[in-house]
Amino acid sequence: MSVISTTKSRVASAYRLLRVPRPALVLLAVVAVLPLVGNPYVLSVLINIGLYAIVAMGLVLLTGLAGQVSLGQGVFYGTGAYASALLCLRLGLSPWLAMPIAAAASGLLAVPIGRAILRLRGIIVAGVTLTVNMVFYYLTISVSDLTGGATGLVQIPRLPYPKVLPYTTFVFYVTWLLLIVALILSCNIAASRVGRALKAVNLLGGGSEDTAQVLGMDVMHYKVLAFVVAAVFAGVAGSTYAHYTSVIEPHTFNVQTSVLVSIMVIVGGVTSPWGAIVGAALIVGLTEFLREVAPIILGGPTGAYELVAYGVVLVISLLFLPAGLCSLPARIEQWRKERRI
Amino acid sequence: MNARLEMRSGVTVSRGGHGPLLEYVGVTMSYGGLLAVKDVSFAVERGEILCIIGPNGAGKTTLLRMTSGLLRPSGGQIWFEGLRIDAMPAYRIAALGSTQVFQDIQLFANMTVLDNVMAGAHVWTDGGLLGTALRLGPAVDEERRIRRAAVDQLALLGLSGVLEEYPSELSWGEQKLVGLARALLCRPTLLLLDEPYGGLDTADIERLSTTLRTLKSEGMTILMVEHLTDIVMDVADRVVVLHYGEKLAEGAPDTIREDERVIATYLGE
Repeated sequence: MSVISTTKSRVASAYRLLRVPRPALVLLAVVAVLPLVGNPYVLSVLINIGLYAIVAMGLVLLTGLAGQVSLGQGVFYGTGAYASALLCLRLGLSPWLAMPIAAAASGLLAVPIGRAILRLRGIIVAGVTLTVNMVFYYLTISVSDLTGGATGLVQIPRLPYPKVLPYTTFVFYVTWLLLIVALILSCNIAASRVGRALKAVNLLGGGSEDTAQVLGMDVMHYKVLAFVVAAVFAGVAGSTYAHYTSVIEPHTFNVQTSVLVSIMVIVGGVTSPWGAIVGAALIVGLTEFLREVAPIILGGPTGAYELVAYGVVLVISLLFLPAGLCSLPARIEQWRKERRI
Repeated sequence: MNARLEMRSGVTVSRGGHGPLLEYVGVTMSYGGLLAVKDVSFAVERGEILCIIGPNGAGKTTLLRMTSGLLRPSGGQIWFEGLRIDAMPAYRIAALGSTQVFQDIQLFANMTVLDNVMAGAHVWTDGGLLGTALRLGPAVDEERRIRRAAVDQLALLGLSGVLEEYPSELSWGEQKLVGLARALLCRPTLLLLDEPYGGLDTADIERLSTTLRTLKSEGMTILMVEHLTDIVMDVADRVVVLHYGEKLAEGAPDTIREDERVIATYLGE
């Protein structure tokens, strides 16, 4: 009896220590059983959602928590992908070793870029990060000896995986486990001393740089920190993408990708890590739906419809749910309270 | 003591810690052609409440912002804890033991009252990104200590009932007290207050005066800018009068009240 109670108490304290949000455990359980019921197509869509959600979660920390608007996450998504691919193709490293190095490379690249850009404020930061993304895109095309130019890199090694699972299923598990880890880390950061400092420098959300400074917070340090963490998240996603598809090309990491991730965050909810998952699921789901349905109903290629659909979703979200889909339960609760009054 | 402070601040200029806690030496601040503060010199002794008074535009707030490091003086020197701080970033000055409550308080609108006050503990805690993200043992313990200290501080100021409220849900008086609680959680040796009595009703004024006297009795040094001269004369140990950026007078409240130049330019008959 005492052994059982000791074990229970150890499990409870481990749970408290990790502070895993209960919904994250539910998500973990869903992820565990999904491959049993989903076909390869569904799993590939879910992998896309997971990868975008990891990039978007970094943006939630950067924009939602620290108030820095970036339209350049494609740079770090791409850096992770190219670094991982090159480490494997040129140096023969194992993908498992290349992945953390690639994520670290994204973070390292973010330090000088962040220190230079985050001296600026507001929408100018968005404009400059967008420009940096364009420069990155053209660099990946022009430095063809290293990046393979417009055709990109091919035959990137797959992640070593147990042959009892199909590769898509394995990558699905890897992607969603990484996403859940990113979710837990994000929740922990948000509820900590570092999270409070990030909120304090968030001028968009009601922070104050003057107050942050007189409370002993180094404003530039925390802005750059958020920028670097967002870059590492994007680098992890980029590296996973490279080993999943085995092919990468510059087009995948252009400005449109960065804007798309921003739309995901706005639609899902910029202040909650869960918003990244909800937003990525909605936008990727919508893209897949249009890809299947639009040619049948409307005819022609789907690209134009996708852009219109993203625009419509963004406008509806900003008009009716400016805090994103994640705020919907709170809004419904508020509406119920008002009706009772 | 000073060796530790020097290491933390990264500043090498020190002249020992036995003099006044804070000293202004010929401090000047100009915005283009406009002189907001002109050659001001005075000292703030340890454990006193010193009030700066003067008409609008006298340079009071500018002087306070230079003391916190939010503005860099055009000339002169500012010394705190025996260290020259006039070229030091604000967050480093805060690490030396100084903090400020602004006239408009500037509570963080995106945090609850409890989180606002917990943010005050930033300066004496050191939980980094890795520890907090992974919730390592020391980071968890530190977070508990911060929470306990914030809850206790809010209780001392009679704010236990608003821990989970957001600043926008509080009255102006409550916001002022939360701002003070946050500053006190920095555990400062020097507290800078910019018009702390502004907008308070009679009960809140009395409550704040009592709190400031208690803090002084506990050894805290308070440098305050205030317009309400009756309160200043009641609370302050010494008063400095600024007029168009220049120091007009300095002394005990009774001396200032009878100073003819101060009466003529500021207090009136």
